[in-house]
Amino acid sequence: MDLIRKLKHYRISQDEYKKIQSLLKREPKGIEFALFSALWSEHCSYKSSRVHLKNLYRENKTVLQSFGENAGIIDLGEGEKIAFKMESHNHPSYIEPFQGAATGVGGILRDIFTMGARPIASANYLCFGDIQAPRMQELVDGVVRGIGGYGNCVGVPTITGQTEFHRSYNKNILVNAMSVGYFGPKDVICISRAKGVGNLVVYVGAKTGKDGVHGASMASESFSEDSSHKKPNVQIGDPFFEKLLIESCIEVMNKELVVAIQDMGAAGLTSSSFEMAAKGKVGMEIHLDQVPLRDSTVGPEEILLSESQERMLLICEPKKFEELKGVFTHWGLEASPIGKVISEQVMRLYWHNEILTEIDPDLLVDNCPAYKREFSEWKAKNRLSELKILVAEEKENEKTFKKIVGSIEGCSRSWIYGQYDQRVGARTERDANHSVSVLRLDHSNRGLAIAVGCRPYVMRFDAYVGGIDAVAYPALEMAAKGFTTLAVTDCLNFGNPEKNEIMSEFVASLKGMNSFCEAIDAPIISGNVSFYNETEGENITSTPSTGLVGLRSDKQSLPQDSFQNKAERVYLVRLPQIYFEGAVNNNAKGLGEFNISKLAYFIKSIEKMGADGDVISSRVVGKFGLAYALFRMASLNIGVEIKSDVMAQLLSEPRGLFSEVFYEVLFSVKAACDFLNRYRDNQYHIVELGSTIAEKLILGDKLVVSTSELNQIYNSGWEANFEGLA
Amino acid sequence: MKKCGVLRFPGTNCDFDTWKAVEKSGGKPEWLWHADHFNAKEFEAFLVPGGFSYGDYLRSGALAARSPAMDSLREANHLGRPILGICNGFQILCEAGLLEGALIKNAGLRFVDSWSEIKLVNPSSFWAANIKKDERINLPIAHGDGRYYAEKDTIKKMQDREQIWWQYVVNPNGSLNDIAGIKNEKGNVGALMPHPERALFAWMGADFGKNFFTALGH
Amino acid sequence: MKIGVRIMPRSELLDSQGRAVFKLFKDQGKNIESVRVGRYVELDIRLSDKDQALKHAEEMAESVLHNPLIENYRIEIL
Repeated sequence: MDLIRKLKHYRISQDEYKKIQSLLKREPKGIEFALFSALWSEHCSYKSSRVHLKNLYRENKTVLQSFGENAGIIDLGEGEKIAFKMESHNHPSYIEPFQGAATGVGGILRDIFTMGARPIASANYLCFGDIQAPRMQELVDGVVRGIGGYGNCVGVPTITGQTEFHRSYNKNILVNAMSVGYFGPKDVICISRAKGVGNLVVYVGAKTGKDGVHGASMASESFSEDSSHKKPNVQIGDPFFEKLLIESCIEVMNKELVVAIQDMGAAGLTSSSFEMAAKGKVGMEIHLDQVPLRDSTVGPEEILLSESQERMLLICEPKKFEELKGVFTHWGLEASPIGKVISEQVMRLYWHNEILTEIDPDLLVDNCPAYKREFSEWKAKNRLSELKILVAEEKENEKTFKKIVGSIEGCSRSWIYGQYDQRVGARTERDANHSVSVLRLDHSNRGLAIAVGCRPYVMRFDAYVGGIDAVAYPALEMAAKGFTTLAVTDCLNFGNPEKNEIMSEFVASLKGMNSFCEAIDAPIISGNVSFYNETEGENITSTPSTGLVGLRSDKQSLPQDSFQNKAERVYLVRLPQIYFEGAVNNNAKGLGEFNISKLAYFIKSIEKMGADGDVISSRVVGKFGLAYALFRMASLNIGVEIKSDVMAQLLSEPRGLFSEVFYEVLFSVKAACDFLNRYRDNQYHIVELGSTIAEKLILGDKLVVSTSELNQIYNSGWEANFEGLA
Repeated sequence: MKKCGVLRFPGTNCDFDTWKAVEKSGGKPEWLWHADHFNAKEFEAFLVPGGFSYGDYLRSGALAARSPAMDSLREANHLGRPILGICNGFQILCEAGLLEGALIKNAGLRFVDSWSEIKLVNPSSFWAANIKKDERINLPIAHGDGRYYAEKDTIKKMQDREQIWWQYVVNPNGSLNDIAGIKNEKGNVGALMPHPERALFAWMGADFGKNFFTALGH
Repeated sequence: MKIGVRIMPRSELLDSQGRAVFKLFKDQGKNIESVRVGRYVELDIRLSDKDQALKHAEEMAESVLHNPLIENYRIEIL
């Protein structure tokens, strides 16, 4: 093959080729092209984002492990720790939605249990296009079946998520999968730094086939016209096999039979072996001919690049190998030594007696290019220059309300999470039918909260504000239930980083997100970047999704998501920094700016309220504004009557019934509780809205609606929008 | 305080949940690994947990039912030992011939996770014995193959011999006669699709499930 | 005319069901080299001409019955 075609085949740019030549001090040969293709792909190397990620707020005293390992770990005290991370599987899910989503779940689970943590929950963040767009119903169906099919079988509850719809995702859907793992007081943390000259390099799990060869480099480029004709780089996941891997790996780690371990994910054997060696500053001799193969026609390059699922690479002392193998055999799995650790920092890859390459792993892992992609200083976007009502008066009616509640953006998601096992593990206290999901920890029985975030319509308004909101909004949801956000993981989904406007949004949103994480002392401890979500020049809405975990300091009962009885007193706690036109209008415009330190104080204050035993229910006002939030509080057909003067006062600001103010939180409390005086503070406002009543929402003089009618529309909305889906 | 064998197959994922339920009720759980025979006489009760043994491949419960441990469980059944099957456990007991009928794909063709109300039709003398006939309880369900099927004359026979244990108040999966759980003729083997081990404490959403394990603590 | 469509996983991809069933038989000591698990669809086509019926079945197999990314199929007259 001539050089140009060869570089194109391996997706290596001319500049990268020059860099390779200078690092090797010679021409690359044979399989070395494949090694660079995989490890220098965007997906594996983070070459377009590394310069920005290194400045993130990523440590505090509770962080035991931040970036640099397969997942981040935080200390919860009482001997308990949590590992968690989020990852994207966007491109494969667009090509084959069931297997793409399934293997996305499988991959992130492995990043968790490779640290020695038992996976206890999964979550996901999904963005689809217009429901009428080509293939979209098939994609929604496939992705949900894939997530459920894998998660349910592997035995990890999928307890929370978020699903968005917008035409910018028509040709690039987003499937982000998050996993949370638990360490009890006796459980051992394992890392991936190879060490110990003479130690065995052991291959564990499924046999290697040709699945997904070049998968990592495929994920690193934009789709074009003929992507649908792409030869299957489809990886098939087997959740049953993964379950066996979870049990056997945790067992060998707790028996201290493992020196280091890493899963074989993107770029399979190549990334795991090279990264483990580079981190440990050692080398390895690997005999590719000893790798267990599913079919005998698989050659050395394919072995190196294969993304066959459910495989791990581990380092084991020779004297412990028999016992280690015994554990894997018990669980029906193979453990095969394929090489050993050497002191010379070189990866010597053999195919039978032939040495295919001897190469310093650092050249591929630490010396990959770190691009300084061009971007511009951020300027606030879509701001209005004057105070005026942002929502047209004529839309403030029952017809709009019903339309919103039944729309694909506003209707119930129970069709989705009703296909996910919520309770396997017997730890689930609050499932996906709640704003924040909660699990009980095995040893201490404390509640751990999990929430995902990022609102694309806020990102379309302003990327900097959207970045802050991606953490602030779920953190506020947590606070409304009395949880402190401890740490954050992210999945940064963006378009083409070689375009200035995309890179500018990346930098701005990351800056917003990071500043806010620092302000609430919730470090970003793990994450993933997915670039090139672009088709035929059109980019997705920049979507930096987040996953948050939180803890409550006490074991008081949690506030509900809805009014429980009549005669509860309803309050609105507000810090109106930004008035937003909101999701009910097509052009998102707004007024105001965030003050991060005031916002951080507000969240802390909400947290105190959320932990108060006199609080019955709480909810953050979000998409579709106050009226919609009140409707969601009325899911048990207990509504509220807001006095006319109160309603008029609220509407005298530049907001309507369905537009959003960042931020407002609703609380209902016991009648005897003097909430207003208990939490009076000049840093925010509390407005008493009224009392709960049966069956109706009375919004001052503006609107009266029946809660049961709206609930019926809400519950049947999904089926109404997706006629094709049963 | 009963010594309870908890069956465990590759892929069983409600094993720990079931173990904890036995332990918290005062019973003494012990693992029974699929590949090994065990001495049925050494145990006083047996649980076959839920989950996806063998990934539900070929048919749910089909591969697990053919394990060496199931030979020993058949022996336990001959001895009249109480045996409880939950969800996948129900499927395995049917495939192994300890119970009649089969569990096939839900009528809606999708996995269903939800809370379901079930009614006690014919009480068991061992499992959930303190719940009375016609009483209703709430338990979580989570299954893709929960639709109970048996031939007409089998169902009639089971009805006559009081083998219908639980029925759904609102049928979530198309089960014949709304059957959610059944017993064998002798009454020592019982199985149901809903998960009692997921409803042990109020914080789980309901605690009706604890009734299924109380006998293990005595 | 009754036509059968035999759908099997593509040989280069993982067949997870086949793998699990194979292991059971291997553990039982059965004399078996490999197991592959697929599915079989029977179509009763309202055409009496053999070639037309086969073409019709092929169109159904192509468009709906199999997923070309991960499966192959074979058609036979029953």
